Amino acid sequence: MRRMSLSARLTATFVAITAACFILVGWLLYRAAEQRIYEQDETNLVLSARHIRRFVAELGSVDDLKAHQDRVTISVLGDPSNALRIVDGAGRIVVDHNAMGYRLDIQSVVPTDQRIVSSMLRTWHDDRGLPIRGVAVVGQLQDGARVTIVVARSLADREVLLRRYGRDMALRLLAGMLAAILLSYVLVRRALRPLHSMATDAATIHAQSLHTRLSAGNAPAELHALSGALNDMLDRLENGFARVWQFTVDLAHDLRTPIGNLRGTNEVALTRPRTSAEYQALLGSNIEECDRVSRTIESVLFLARADNPQFALQRVTLDVEAELERIADYFEGVASEARVAIEISGGATIDADRELFRRAVGNLLSNALRYTPPEQVIKLVAGEANGTVTVAVENPGAGIPAEHLEKLFDRFYRVDRSRSDSASSTGLGLSIVKSIMELHGGRVTVESQLRGITRFVLWFPARRTS
Amino acid sequence: MRLLVIEDEKKAGEYLKKGLEESGYTVDVVGNGIDGLHQAIEEDYDLVVLDVMLPGMDGWEVLRRVRAKKDTPILLLTAIDELEERVRGLELGGDDYLVKPFAFVELLARIRTLLRRGPPRDIEHVHIGDLEIDAVRRRVRRSGQRIDLTPKEFSLLQLLARRRGEVLSRTQIASYVWDMNFDSDTNVVEVAIRRLRAKIDDGHDTKLIHTVRGMGYVLDEEREDS
Repeated sequence: MRRMSLSARLTATFVAITAACFILVGWLLYRAAEQRIYEQDETNLVLSARHIRRFVAELGSVDDLKAHQDRVTISVLGDPSNALRIVDGAGRIVVDHNAMGYRLDIQSVVPTDQRIVSSMLRTWHDDRGLPIRGVAVVGQLQDGARVTIVVARSLADREVLLRRYGRDMALRLLAGMLAAILLSYVLVRRALRPLHSMATDAATIHAQSLHTRLSAGNAPAELHALSGALNDMLDRLENGFARVWQFTVDLAHDLRTPIGNLRGTNEVALTRPRTSAEYQALLGSNIEECDRVSRTIESVLFLARADNPQFALQRVTLDVEAELERIADYFEGVASEARVAIEISGGATIDADRELFRRAVGNLLSNALRYTPPEQVIKLVAGEANGTVTVAVENPGAGIPAEHLEKLFDRFYRVDRSRSDSASSTGLGLSIVKSIMELHGGRVTVESQLRGITRFVLWFPARRTS
Repeated sequence: MRLLVIEDEKKAGEYLKKGLEESGYTVDVVGNGIDGLHQAIEEDYDLVVLDVMLPGMDGWEVLRRVRAKKDTPILLLTAIDELEERVRGLELGGDDYLVKPFAFVELLARIRTLLRRGPPRDIEHVHIGDLEIDAVRRRVRRSGQRIDLTPKEFSLLQLLARRRGEVLSRTQIASYVWDMNFDSDTNVVEVAIRRLRAKIDDGHDTKLIHTVRGMGYVLDEEREDS
């Protein structure tokens, strides 16, 4: 199913609300008019009945009544819907004003001493189905004779009137609703026009033109916020793309060196016959270069996998001190050859992936070993504060100039690009440390004094309570 | 021992055949999954080396169908190093799993492990030339003279002795001796071997610990050092 456009949805909502209001108000008005009309009629009927009964009471006899017919009927004259009938005790009709021939027999009759009120009015239908409303009362003449007075009124004309009123109102409501639909559609379209222009802008943005930004122009504040957020997103994307691009270039450069070596040494070897010892040395060197390429590929793949949000950490509870001792033990030989000591202090417990923890600390320690002068001490310090566990790797040495600190964790970033040990270092070690820490929800920081202490700190967030 | 290698990459097939034959195995190489499956089922092999990405029928399918009929050990080779792939390979009945590019010595070690029946015996006393290793008392003597080793040095020597004549890669050594399974930029294993060699071989005419350049290290009596 195709989704409704925003303008169609807004218009529909607006129309629905307008229609509901119009219909409610129309119905209330109709009911009010209906009530007013019927109330008016009822008052007239009640007043007429009272007046006629009073008048009858002043007359001497039924004959008197007949003689003064005009005076009695005067109160119901003028409207052909009105009817009046007076019947004497013997059931003879004395007065009959009933131009339309309504049926006027009423069972319930109001006694002569009871005050006539509108609640005594009854509604019935005559043979033609016409609704009639009226009241029957007993009147007493001076000579004691009693007559039944029926005052009634047909409601047919009222119903016709109300029906016409209702129809007129419905037509006007419909016209109003159509106008509302049209107006709201136009207004919504106009309000959303900046969105269309933003969409047009966005359609022109490709990986090659990430510098393009959306212009909100004179759009309302809500869209300003949206275009601002989208532009921020574009900033981040552009940044990310630039990093990926740089990464690709650096990776290609980094692979160029070992491949150049491979090709060069092999070509030179093939220029003339060699001894088998020379060939063996060449093949050995080839394997070393292959290992170097493999190591770079493995590191790049590790970083790519770590970027994937689905990366599964195998968290276990680690005794940090024991782990540090194990890692230090691994590097013991290298350290003592470099005449550097490794000292461990402090302790803590963390939930972390064992392999990754070792790899992170191992990378930092291997780094520290490379830059620590002989007869000095590398310190591994574990600590815990407010649930956050820190593991610091500190080494004295030349230190890292401040301008490099920020970029130190960037992929393939090397402080000194011309260093001869670039063969053994992939330039990815610290990026891997950073990735590992991010996988654990933590971070890695570095501080360095020139000709002083360089300290890398791994920050592990508070243990998850499970 | 007869091995079947199912590998579509021609060069890879060639070097695997050559390397494995030189290590004493009889090797057949097949270049696609359908022929590989047929041969693995029809003939008797002691082990199958199976590349996962194959033309015709992929390695997973070959593995599944071979397993339906036979228990021949199967070692999977793949270029994809993902946990799910490993799990899938082992669930389908693969016996081991090696990610390309791998060191040939590593492949050889895995094949030997799969072909060995039962766990390796811990030999109490090992004699290699005039080197004696007493695994129980953790003592080492050369030409009757006691040599003091640190615990790690002893583990390293014991590993080399147990795999006497086999070339062990740096990664294998780091993993067995220190339980470190990441490639470090630092030459930790090289240094450890150098220090062990200083204690074992220095002052003796016959060298026992040999470096196979680019591949790793081997402990043996007679070997031409390269």
